[in-house]
Amino acid sequence: MMIKYIDWKVTIPRIVAAVPIAILVFIPVFSTSRDTLSIIILSGVWVIAAMGFAMILRTGQFSMGQAAFMAIGGYASAILTVKMGWSFWPSFFMAGVISGIIALIIGSVVLRVGNIYFSIITLSFGEIVRILAQNLEGITHGARGLIPPSPEPIVLGSFEINFDASVVPYYYFMILLVAITSLVFWQINRSRLGGTFFSLAANQILAEHQGIYLMKYRVIAFTVAGIFTGFAGAFYAHFLEIITPYMLGLWESIQIMIMSIVGGVSSLVAGPLVGAVLLKVLSVYLSRLPVYGIHALLFGGAVVLVLVFLPKGTGLIDLWKKFWRKVFNEPEWYEIPSIDE
Amino acid sequence: MSFLELTNVTKQFGRLSAIEDINLSVNQGEVLGIVGPNGSGKSTLINVMTSYYRPTSGSIYFKGRKISGLRPDKIAALGIARTFQSNILFEGATVLESVMVSAYLQYKTNNLQSFLRTKAYRDEYEKIVGKVLDLLKMLELFNDTFLPASGLSHGYQRMLGIAIALASGPKVLLLDEPTTGMNHEEAMFVVENIRKINETGVTVILIEHNMKVLLDLATRVAVLNFGIKIAEGKPKEVMNKREVIEAYLGTETI
Amino acid sequence: MPPAAIWMDGLIQSCIYMTMAFGMVLVFSILGILNWAHGQFYMFGGIVVYYAVAAAGIPFPISLLISAVAVGVLGMLVEKLIIERVNVPIYGPLYVGVATISLIFFFEGAASMLFGMQDKGLSMVYPGVLDLGVFSVSYQKIGVVIFTVIVMVAMYIVLNLTKIGLAIRAVSQEPVAANLYGISVKRISVIVMGIGCAMAAMAGSIMAPIYPVNPFMGRIPMIMSLLAIVIGGIGSLTGAIVGGLILGFLNSVIAYKISYFSEVVLFILVILILLVRPQGLFGASLK
Repeated sequence: MMIKYIDWKVTIPRIVAAVPIAILVFIPVFSTSRDTLSIIILSGVWVIAAMGFAMILRTGQFSMGQAAFMAIGGYASAILTVKMGWSFWPSFFMAGVISGIIALIIGSVVLRVGNIYFSIITLSFGEIVRILAQNLEGITHGARGLIPPSPEPIVLGSFEINFDASVVPYYYFMILLVAITSLVFWQINRSRLGGTFFSLAANQILAEHQGIYLMKYRVIAFTVAGIFTGFAGAFYAHFLEIITPYMLGLWESIQIMIMSIVGGVSSLVAGPLVGAVLLKVLSVYLSRLPVYGIHALLFGGAVVLVLVFLPKGTGLIDLWKKFWRKVFNEPEWYEIPSIDE
Repeated sequence: MSFLELTNVTKQFGRLSAIEDINLSVNQGEVLGIVGPNGSGKSTLINVMTSYYRPTSGSIYFKGRKISGLRPDKIAALGIARTFQSNILFEGATVLESVMVSAYLQYKTNNLQSFLRTKAYRDEYEKIVGKVLDLLKMLELFNDTFLPASGLSHGYQRMLGIAIALASGPKVLLLDEPTTGMNHEEAMFVVENIRKINETGVTVILIEHNMKVLLDLATRVAVLNFGIKIAEGKPKEVMNKREVIEAYLGTETI
Repeated sequence: MPPAAIWMDGLIQSCIYMTMAFGMVLVFSILGILNWAHGQFYMFGGIVVYYAVAAAGIPFPISLLISAVAVGVLGMLVEKLIIERVNVPIYGPLYVGVATISLIFFFEGAASMLFGMQDKGLSMVYPGVLDLGVFSVSYQKIGVVIFTVIVMVAMYIVLNLTKIGLAIRAVSQEPVAANLYGISVKRISVIVMGIGCAMAAMAGSIMAPIYPVNPFMGRIPMIMSLLAIVIGGIGSLTGAIVGGLILGFLNSVIAYKISYFSEVVLFILVILILLVRPQGLFGASLK
């Protein structure tokens, strides 16, 4: 019989972090107001997209076209349901697959050139997707956009989950989606893939000379991000029951990026989650302010302040770790050794 | 054909030839020293051999297979590892993380197995952790296992560079001036370790300024000057050759 | 063959993109980062000139200088207070990128609050049309071209014939060595950011009489000058000028030929250039 040693320094922060998550799961019990739940549901969409961005960033690449994959997922699902008459579930699944395939194709062509060039190419790609969506009238209905239906009810014996009646089913669907994404990303980060991704960003020349084929891992990260971002986009379209070319453009890609960075990319899951939820909620409340322009002003200002005043190279999530180090009175990570050995 | 062979390898940068028409053969298990004054093309030679640069002409064969023009990761996968002249590290990683990441080539399990954490992967992982720790012990980095690599002193960073290269389990190890900036004791420590590494069956190609190190270690020496190989042979004999002395000290002093 | 007016329009657009791209490249070569909020400095240039001319009644050429100085100082403040503090090793470009992108929101928000959302326009400062028989050009547009040439020549002189220009070139080539020789890289960064932003402001102000002024006018020139830099080669000043020229004409001429797909063609062209020759037309070979 093995006695498991419990490290309270790890366990207590986890328990404290679990409390808000538990509260989140039970929110619909207390309130079913469309308003409150919508904010959380929509933040969930951005959480997934931000996680995808963080994953690509892990490999040292800086994608500025993540919203395009949301748009691809959204349009794929919308076209399949509206034009081809598929039902929701298969088209939702196909949205992720299509988005993933497009990411795979684009990635294997484009990831050859890295760094700033990759950012500009993905930015261009995002714009191309937007312009095409705007102009391919026959498929996308142009600027008017498509109106995808809500999911069909799920019948479990006598019990029926109806997506039209309230947003609660959407809420749990979203939580499930975020949970699955988090689990997959967490597992990737923990496996050998995580270390390999990290080595690409940390020093690609060294990594290459250790036998790591850069393209392979960049494409893997890009594709995995593409798949989940596609799911998020499809969900977004079906939840809002509309998708237009203007919903997911360059500015949304930029927001995804900001959410990831502000949350902190030292962790693949928690950072983007915290960043996306906080910034989305902030953004929603700011947009209710009466003066036009103050929303953008405060949003931009808040992000700049966070970046300037946080320790360099960290995000909000690192404050959490720092807090617990203070609580347990642990020393900082390391002290620089003295010059002589 | 010998173990590792360079035939007529030339690398030009613009009009300038960094190395010109180099023929060199390396035997299995030896320590080949490459010497030459600054700017004689020693590092370029290593960079060409590991495909950091593509040779302008000529080819390189490893175990009879042509490797010039392959991607660097392919060359590493064939068993040729290298260190760098400056301390190139994985930014933000600890010593252990750096070496664990570098052990990439030692895994037999694929990425899917590692994602699903199958039994085969976990067993292999444990084995590799063991190997890496042994490696760190051997190179006296064990006390710094959990320190960030960038916090190490220069000498230890050089050792970490060697550890990173060795972690991939190479058959040939190319060392680019492993003892730069070290004092005598540190350099001798490195020499000891290179000898130990060589004894495990790894062929070592060593670029070195420090003659003492070279005379101690190398079984054979090749001398470069202005990108051209001017001498090759046993260390003691080569060092007494007229061309070599001229290359190092200049003609007028003789 | 598109009519002359299209070519003229292309030339005018080239002038904006050239001036903006030049400033961005200058900043990039010293700070190693792209200033994504460059378009917003362009927008502020337009707004300052609008207020100076329409509200305060200052003559146009003087208000142009005022706006260049004012926005240049704003750029310096941004460098000193934000970029310098965020630009850390390793992930610096990333964090600066996000900070400057957030500044886009900040500046556009500020501008919409102060300036209002609606388009405003200055009346032509130099009314009248030059009739060349085949086609006619307004004096205002000729003014834009001449002004751009003056700015470029002035930049050439500053960079090549003055001490500060020497310092800037030194830092762009070898920051560490320049620092050791007593050039303060931090100060040069601030100055260069000031110059870059002032150039964007000048582009914005010279355009104010031609295009409408509004808080969002900076977005498209920003993207276009970014693409111009890419075509010319990131980090190359000549590349910025040539890229700006190519892009301005391309944009107006392709738009004339195939309407809405012009942008798609443009972006695909940029992607192709980056894939085939990532260093751009004038950049040095990477390896």
